[in-house]
Amino acid sequence: MHTAHAKGEYNLMNEIHNLPDFVAVESSLEVGNRPAGIITRIYRLLAHEKLALALLIAILSSCIIGATLFRGRQAGELIFSTLWFNGLLALLVVNVACCFFGRILGRKLTLISAGMILFHLSFVSMFAGIIYNSLFHFHGVIRLTEGETLPSGQPQSYDRIDQGRFFDYARLKGQTTLVRMQTGYKVDGLDKRVAYEIAVGEEGSKKQGLVYITKNLAYDGFRYFNDKEGYSILVVLHDKQGRELFGAYVPLQSLKQKDESYLYTTGRENGPGTLLFPQDRAKPLFNLQVAYRPDPNQERAGDVFFQARPLGKSDAPPAGSAIEKSKTAVGEKFDLGEYFLSPKEVRYWVGMSVRHDPGLPIVLASLWVGLGGMVITTFGRLMKRRRDDNESCEQ
Amino acid sequence: MKPEFICFWSAVALYGVSTFSYIFGLISKYEKLFLIGLYTALGGFIPHVAAIALRWMAGGAGVNPFITISESISFGVLMAVLLYLITQFSIKKIRPLGVLVMPVAFILLGWSGTLMKEVASQIAPALQSYWLWVHIVGATTGFASVLIAAGMGVLYLLKDKNSGGIYEKFPELQTLDGLSYRYVAAGFIMYGLMIISGAYWSNQIKGSFWNWDAVEVWSLVSWLIYGIYLHLRITMGWRGRKLAWYALLALAMMIVSYWGIPFGAETFHAGFRIEHN
Ligand code: HEM
Repeated sequence: MHTAHAKGEYNLMNEIHNLPDFVAVESSLEVGNRPAGIITRIYRLLAHEKLALALLIAILSSCIIGATLFRGRQAGELIFSTLWFNGLLALLVVNVACCFFGRILGRKLTLISAGMILFHLSFVSMFAGIIYNSLFHFHGVIRLTEGETLPSGQPQSYDRIDQGRFFDYARLKGQTTLVRMQTGYKVDGLDKRVAYEIAVGEEGSKKQGLVYITKNLAYDGFRYFNDKEGYSILVVLHDKQGRELFGAYVPLQSLKQKDESYLYTTGRENGPGTLLFPQDRAKPLFNLQVAYRPDPNQERAGDVFFQARPLGKSDAPPAGSAIEKSKTAVGEKFDLGEYFLSPKEVRYWVGMSVRHDPGLPIVLASLWVGLGGMVITTFGRLMKRRRDDNESCEQ
Repeated sequence: MKPEFICFWSAVALYGVSTFSYIFGLISKYEKLFLIGLYTALGGFIPHVAAIALRWMAGGAGVNPFITISESISFGVLMAVLLYLITQFSIKKIRPLGVLVMPVAFILLGWSGTLMKEVASQIAPALQSYWLWVHIVGATTGFASVLIAAGMGVLYLLKDKNSGGIYEKFPELQTLDGLSYRYVAAGFIMYGLMIISGAYWSNQIKGSFWNWDAVEVWSLVSWLIYGIYLHLRITMGWRGRKLAWYALLALAMMIVSYWGIPFGAETFHAGFRIEHN
């Protein structure tokens, strides 16, 4: 039984353990017969293959806990984005690297070992890619109404930003424009729902193109993905003579109602709200809530509802029925006493996620290299087994 | 009754007959029953293919019948039975392999029948990607492979405990052990392919290749479980009974992580649910 092991199954072990691994490492590190120093001892611990197993089990248990006891964001906060969990992952990589580099010296190159080398290298390079990316990446969400242009390189242009320590805003050149959003967009008869036509880059070298769910737009190391979209109402303030005093695009939230329908209104993610109007005046006139009911048969048409309350009163949105009375078709005017309010036009706004991930190609390529390594090793092991079987038959 | 359902439930019924043939064959030590088990499995496979094909034809443009939970179980079972039949016909001595494979196929397929929904009229935009195909093929062949591995493990445990009679006709312990290991290695690779294609797919749609969501974490869990299997065998020298038990437990984890999770986790489709205006 044991000889069979040694011949057939243990051949990989032999390959690993018959090497002068630790010995070679120790003698090269212990210059001049000094006793094993602290560095050697740490190295020896890091290069221990039982450490790999222990780390795998620790990571596995954390994953199981993260997928059962906690859910979603909580799991992220308590486990997956914590320092200790990522420390475990990093330790695993260091461990793999140490095992690997400690043992590879002088190793005979066979299919099995070549596959192992690829697999381990890919593992290490994948994490190198992840770390590199975490230092230099940029992830932002930019929100634009059709026709709007924002400078790409300014943090204020983004609703949310997550960036690496060494990301340089000078990389984000030029401007980002949402030309138009198209609903019911189709490619080869397949429904893509919406497509954003955008233009990015500097004057003279702008790139214009479409972004939809299965297609992003790449420009100068940055990729633009579709994320979410909504309505934006151009609200215009007129005086009693009909002159336009002020106008602004007011983006609306899409709030899902209990009956699965949507309420489109000013406010926040968690409910309706008001905004100061006109916003850029030293003295706004009122707190305004705007809501919209799209026309089911016609794009960019429908009814708009206003609720204007004098400043100083509570910000809380008014009760539902009051606002119903202000029903105003797009293009019409609503009489506010001293003024008129008009929903002059309906446009779409979109939220795009803007991503710069310089480490991504390394990570993605590593995945294939790793898989290739696994395939080669397995193939090599099967071949070797067959050879061993044949040899034992001949004996 | 629609032809699709007739085919589907015929497949379930024949897998059921196969299941009982195997189990009674083992209990009564009557070998002919294994042969009946094998041929009823083959007999069930044909209407099973037909049921999936009919569903495919009934779907709208771009719709394939592998999306919903019941469809995904059905296709996973189909692949498992296919791989099992190929294994049976190419390796002669392992007739009783169906003792684990067919009950699992029967129960899972019957369960998926209770979850069946009308075929979709259109395919969700996020699924309109070639990565979907790599992903599904990787997932289902990976599952098929580790199921057969666990089946070999069961034969190992049976032969290890009993001797004489039909057990004499089982392959040698060492052969069973080696076969089980090969199927785990193949499953591990296919499973890796599934995870990689999932990562590429997610990168195509969202720009990020990994989000630590419940489905991803669970698949990593089962991948790691098989990774540890390989470590235990290769680095720690585990063999035989211990690994056979391990393969059985790992299979249970695998089934939970494939098809149990979507019920418990609200995140299964989370990334792709577009709440559009
Ligand atoms: C039999 C097993 C599986 C099948 C047939 C399968 C098939 C699918 C399908 C049809 C979707 C799209 C679902 C939707 O969003 O409507 C999907 C999503 C996805 N699956 Fe799987 N899947 C399986 C298991 C796994 C596992 C274990 C992983 C782990 C890597 C995985 C990774 C992903 C990823 C990354 C997505 C994108 C979802 C997201 O990121 O939110 N799948 N899978």
